[in-house]
Amino acid sequence: MKAPPVSITVKDLTLRFPVYGVDAKSLKKHLARVAIGGRLSKSHHGSAEVTAISGLSMTLKAGDRLGLIGHNGSGKTTLLRALSGAYEPDEGQIEVKGRIAPLLDLSLGIDPSATGLENIRLRGRIAGLTTREIDAKMDEIGRFTGLGPFLAMPLKTYSAGMAARLAFAVATAVDADVLLMDEWIAVGDADFQKIAHQRLLSLVERAGILVLASHDMDLIRLYCNKVMRMEGGVASPVTSIKDLDQLLAQA
Amino acid sequence: MHTAQHMLRTGRRGSLHEFAMAYADLRASVPKLGLAWSLASHDVISRYRGSILGPFWITLSMAFMVLGIGFLYSELQHISLQETMPFVALGIVFWGMISLVIIEGCETFVHASGMLSQTSLPMFTFVWRTLLRNLVTLLHHLIIIVAVLIWFGYWRTMNLPLAIAGLVLTLLNVSWISLAVAISSARFRDIPQIVTSVMQFSMFMTPVFWKPDFHSPMMTLVLIYNPFFHMLDSIRGPLLGAQPALQTYVVLIAMAVIGWAVTFSLFALTRRRIVHYL
Repeated sequence: MKAPPVSITVKDLTLRFPVYGVDAKSLKKHLARVAIGGRLSKSHHGSAEVTAISGLSMTLKAGDRLGLIGHNGSGKTTLLRALSGAYEPDEGQIEVKGRIAPLLDLSLGIDPSATGLENIRLRGRIAGLTTREIDAKMDEIGRFTGLGPFLAMPLKTYSAGMAARLAFAVATAVDADVLLMDEWIAVGDADFQKIAHQRLLSLVERAGILVLASHDMDLIRLYCNKVMRMEGGVASPVTSIKDLDQLLAQA
Repeated sequence: MHTAQHMLRTGRRGSLHEFAMAYADLRASVPKLGLAWSLASHDVISRYRGSILGPFWITLSMAFMVLGIGFLYSELQHISLQETMPFVALGIVFWGMISLVIIEGCETFVHASGMLSQTSLPMFTFVWRTLLRNLVTLLHHLIIIVAVLIWFGYWRTMNLPLAIAGLVLTLLNVSWISLAVAISSARFRDIPQIVTSVMQFSMFMTPVFWKPDFHSPMMTLVLIYNPFFHMLDSIRGPLLGAQPALQTYVVLIAMAVIGWAVTFSLFALTRRRIVHYL
């Protein structure tokens, strides 16, 4: 059986955020000069608007591992959220073929008063797994967290690192074709980071496409084979990872 | 497959396209009913975590309220307990469901902001979550209803199918109100306060505790123009062996059709923006 083609096609994507309840008039001139953040403007009905992404086009196919780099507020996370299907384009279009797994926020759907096991179930359900699939994966996830008997305890009794282990284990238990990751890979202690890295690598190998937003160039070099730089919502063309230094020098 | 294999998102292409996308959201929410159920039952479990009676605490406090108000009104209005108690019991239980689906509707999207801003889950999933959560609570309160209907002997005369039809009509109506409230509360943070006061006011304007009296023209006017009276009457009437007026069904069906048409249009036109409101 032929695997369905995995691809991401983005054409002339423009995303604007209306800012509600804030009078941006007085701030506008000041903020426009600042290097970080998108461009503030006024929408046609007078409320403030941030252009987070403007005129972005790119095509990714199976095997592409794209690293997104850029300042804070340059539109990296917004692009990831648009690719996940949460944000609708204001102009242009996004087409994604394949199952999408957005790993943007580890704490998504996590309830601190529920036990570790309950949280695994809940998070798995949100990620689109059926109850049966979660049961099948439960042992594997439980073993990976290394939390043992703590899994039956409420999450609020966990240390921050333990909670991060659990969240990481569930979030990465999905089978996906398109993996969207924001920079949160450095969690847990040194031991955990090592096995987390292995798990991520195998996940990335299974997935057709990876889009990773990060400020850590070593991380980008480790996981990615292509790179795109964003600045004020405007993206550079997608280039090979070999040109990363050149791209950075242009900044 | 459980997750979308193909996703296409585009900029605005006219109102027709917006309606098509809103309909696509509604359709996509059907396979996600299982998830809505998981979230709803998790809500109920986590709300009463660690307590012995769990959700039955509300049932218990409601039972006390029924007893108190039942006795009081039976004395005040000089009506026998036999008549007052079941009336008040059913009134309080079903009013509780109607008002909570609407009041909790305010939080439907606000509480789901995390999931809405990083997944492609259909937005209707969260509307069903609010509805299902309150149906789970209603199931707990069925104890009160069953107890009252048996104790006072109404189970012999009740018209259960008609009552269930009334419940379905009521749910069709509260669900669109809940959605309308969810959208507007996401955009304007004053809405939840307004909704709470309106529902409190409506509780007194609706015959939840007091018997409707159609002899006074003023009262008749208040009842006929009160949608909650029709909702409550369509469920409670048949259970107490009374046939609701034809007018009640006309109002409920008309309200469901018009309400859904208007609210669905509102949803279609604001759908792209809701995630940014949060």
